[in-house]
Amino acid sequence: MEKLKKGLGAAAGLMLLIAVLSGCGKEEKQGGQSGKEFVYVPEYANLAVSCDYMNSITAAGDYIYFTGDTYAEEEGGEYRSSLYQYNLLENQVKELMKLDEESNKSLSSMAVAQDGNLVAVFNNYEDVTDENGEVIDSKSTLELCRISTTDGSVSDTQDITGALGESEWAYVQYLCVDNQDNIYACDGDGGIHVFSKDMQKLCDIKADGWINSMVTSREGDVYVQYYGNGSGTEFRKVDVAAKKLGDNVAGISDGSFGGIYFTGATKSILVSSNDQVSLFDISSGTMEDLFKWLDADVNGDNVNIAGELSDGRIWAITRDYGAEEAKYELIYLTRKKASEVKEKEEILYGALWLGSDLRKKIIDFNKTSDQYRITVKTYMTDDYETGLAQFNADLTTGSCPDIIDLSSIDFHQYASKGVLEDLYPYMEKSGIRKEEYLENVLKAFEQDGKLYGIMPQFYITTTLAKASLIGERNGWTLSEMLDFVEENDPENVFDYASRASIFYYCIYNNIDEFIDWETGECSFEGEEFIRTLEFAAKFPEEYDYNQEREEGLSSKLRNNKLLLMQTSISSVQEYQMMNGMFGEPVSFVGYPNGEKKGNLIQPASGSVGIGAKSKHKDGAWKFVESLISEEFQDSLVSEHGNYGFPIKKSALEKQFELDMKPEYYEDENGEQVEQMKTSWGYDDFSMDIYAATQEEVDGVKALIESCEKLSGNVDNQLINIITEESEAFFKGQKSAADTAGVIQNRIQIYVNENR
Amino acid sequence: MHFFTGGKKVKKSGSNQRTRRGKWIARGYLFPSAAGVLLFFVLPFLIVFFYSVVDNPINRQFVFFDNFVMVFQNAAFQQAAKNTLTFSLTAVPLAVVLSLLLAMTLESKIPFKSQFRTFFLSPMMVPIASVVLIWQVLFHYNGMINEILTFFGRDKIDWLNSSYAQVVIVVLFLWKNLGYNMILFMSALSSIPRDIIEVAVLESATPFQIFWHIKLRYMSSTILFVTIMSLINSFKVFREIYLLKGDYPYDTMYMLQHFMNNTFNRLDYQKMSAAAIMMAIVMVIIIGILFLTENYFGKDVEE
Repeated sequence: MEKLKKGLGAAAGLMLLIAVLSGCGKEEKQGGQSGKEFVYVPEYANLAVSCDYMNSITAAGDYIYFTGDTYAEEEGGEYRSSLYQYNLLENQVKELMKLDEESNKSLSSMAVAQDGNLVAVFNNYEDVTDENGEVIDSKSTLELCRISTTDGSVSDTQDITGALGESEWAYVQYLCVDNQDNIYACDGDGGIHVFSKDMQKLCDIKADGWINSMVTSREGDVYVQYYGNGSGTEFRKVDVAAKKLGDNVAGISDGSFGGIYFTGATKSILVSSNDQVSLFDISSGTMEDLFKWLDADVNGDNVNIAGELSDGRIWAITRDYGAEEAKYELIYLTRKKASEVKEKEEILYGALWLGSDLRKKIIDFNKTSDQYRITVKTYMTDDYETGLAQFNADLTTGSCPDIIDLSSIDFHQYASKGVLEDLYPYMEKSGIRKEEYLENVLKAFEQDGKLYGIMPQFYITTTLAKASLIGERNGWTLSEMLDFVEENDPENVFDYASRASIFYYCIYNNIDEFIDWETGECSFEGEEFIRTLEFAAKFPEEYDYNQEREEGLSSKLRNNKLLLMQTSISSVQEYQMMNGMFGEPVSFVGYPNGEKKGNLIQPASGSVGIGAKSKHKDGAWKFVESLISEEFQDSLVSEHGNYGFPIKKSALEKQFELDMKPEYYEDENGEQVEQMKTSWGYDDFSMDIYAATQEEVDGVKALIESCEKLSGNVDNQLINIITEESEAFFKGQKSAADTAGVIQNRIQIYVNENR
Repeated sequence: MHFFTGGKKVKKSGSNQRTRRGKWIARGYLFPSAAGVLLFFVLPFLIVFFYSVVDNPINRQFVFFDNFVMVFQNAAFQQAAKNTLTFSLTAVPLAVVLSLLLAMTLESKIPFKSQFRTFFLSPMMVPIASVVLIWQVLFHYNGMINEILTFFGRDKIDWLNSSYAQVVIVVLFLWKNLGYNMILFMSALSSIPRDIIEVAVLESATPFQIFWHIKLRYMSSTILFVTIMSLINSFKVFREIYLLKGDYPYDTMYMLQHFMNNTFNRLDYQKMSAAAIMMAIVMVIIIGILFLTENYFGKDVEE
């Protein structure tokens, strides 16, 4: 019996242990929609009016009011502008008045009064003429008036120019109306000017900083948010009775830019940040988070205005400013029980921070996929180290994200630990041939012949020098670089270069030249490293930014006062500009590198891999696949060059074709004359960019082909050791040899430890 | 003790019930402690053992003792083990002997005993971050010690980036720990029976004989305790070194805990765990030897 008890006890202990250990591998419900009782389901509606720009948008109840500007090409390329009332519940629009009948008048801001009519401020621009009728000046006046929301008629017009201060260019940035029908006009200089219902000036109130936002609460009070003097953002009531701002309202902005504020329907104020939507109750000082924009497939960066409808839905108007054909979108968000929403397989996307391009791509993927839904977990909420520690903890406890954002992490380290999945078999299974892509760029995320990450778009970081000085080449060793600079003895190597930046340039993209990972031997005590230390020491400790720049960058480069230029090449146009800047052919020689492969690849819009322990690898691959799909790669092709090259060869060729396609205009004789496609500038240099020549495109192709390594993939530990120890040499406290010896000693431990 | 009188089965049963109940109550009281030990000591150790026999914390493929072989052959681990051993073999005996000497000195009739006691205890009160700052100022290449050396015409020494680095750490360790050890020894010295010493004096025993044959034997358990504590503290010197030189110091300052800390940060849990287990085995052996030694020297005192 006793043995049995002991056996049972031991078994219980063992089970406890197994439970704990197996708990490590248990899938955890993460962020996003998982585990939430309610979700907000988006519904996209076409705006009942077509306009290129919506301005002065103001909301009241289930209505919004705005001025809509439309480019009328058939009418001589002018903008047509009207004031609209938009019924959000019924998705119907009513034109209240046309605004383009008087070309010198524009509606700058408006608000809704208690009776439902509008209070608006018009800007009038008038030319001042002399006795001969010549225009000698212009002046602006501000008119406050009422606009009927029934028929658009204007009444009670009052000139308030003088009431806003002495500036002849005063303007109204925000306009609000409180529950007493008092009118609050905020100028662009922290001033709030209050008028009574009958438009008589009541008082002026001044905020201590620049006002970011002015809003009327559900209760009918007006609040401003502004940057206080050293105290971060503050949110205060405009107290007309006391003629000053009230106390800071805690909990709504709390020292940071909380978001944009709109009048709430169920609580005081609706707050929209680029991350989420919340409701704030002023009386209790409590904030209720409703949902994250990303979970509702809305890009929070694009939200122009949002509010609550009387039927409980949230609405928002968005505009994707990054898109080539940006258009406004009206979105209704309905609160539903999570159980009522069609269940999709959830894919967890883990990122230290989420870039805007991948955020947009995730939203697009979620909108279009019936089977999968990506939820995002961002780790870097405080600082990099804490975020990385949390990410590592998730990996080791089996909560590995399905898709891993490789921005800001050392992919080699995670690939060697088995964290990342080889993507080549997935490509093969999907019938994607790697030959269709730039294989040298794919190689940047390769390790032992396996592909651990993919970037949809990339640019190149490189170094340029005059071909007449350096010769035609696309790579050099550190010795060659040092010889070149010493032979030419310039004022400086780069513009704004300091001792540390030159040293950094020589070493950090070339660290493998000093470490042999095969044998574990380091050569920091060698002649080359010591020479680099001594070379860097010749340059000033700090660049004096206060010194007067007598010459611009281009001029210095042309006159050989500067020898090299570190830059990135993200388009053919940028390549054309760089050649123009030197005034003669240039060599893209790159960073010094033992293998002469110093032109480095940098992901332009992030990079991703798949977690080897993911339980949703197929779903994760669907997303990764979408990044290299023909459709998406073709969408990266842009008429005047994008920020980065697509990795699919066919898309890149399309980009080159567009870059080489000339644009023409018809001159007065009816002849086609080639015109510039765009213009580029850098420091003192600017250049009109015409269609690229075949030679220029070949140059870009050669530059791309010369790259196969990722930029900036050096462990911070190595950077810290070298920076810390080299400081003593640069300060003249130690010899270069002694410094190199200490660096060698410390880095040798690092190398030994990691073998 | 027997409660059974006259074969009444009821009474026997009642007694058994009480005994059983008492056992359950005892188990109930014991449970929090037992659960704590299981949760915070046994379980972590088992997890460490688990990681030591898998390829990495993500794949978790069983690799038997490969990690132990790999870590044992790793040059950084060898360096760390050598440094840790050298440091402990130097610092621990010095910490024991010097603090014992200090305790005996303060036991004798010297003036300002109380002030000296406070003086030696004061390093315990200084926060470690401040201690490290002071040490940096003292032993920096342009620090106070080198200023003194150059004043006497000697070359500067790069104390923290040379083979002298471990000397600095030993001095720092002694400075930090001597006071505490000294107090323990003073307490042990004061508990030695006076009559035995008086008899020895009457028997014309020399001070050395009194120290060797009486005091040392009575203090054997305290010496063991101080040695073990100093040994444990010697492994904790990583904290000071880390604050002085970060994750990768000069090789003479690179300790086993650096190896474990760095491998943990790089998700090499398997290396860290194998190193920790090897270190634990060595610790058990050393402490076992210390116990045997104490048993040998202290047995006649206990008798």
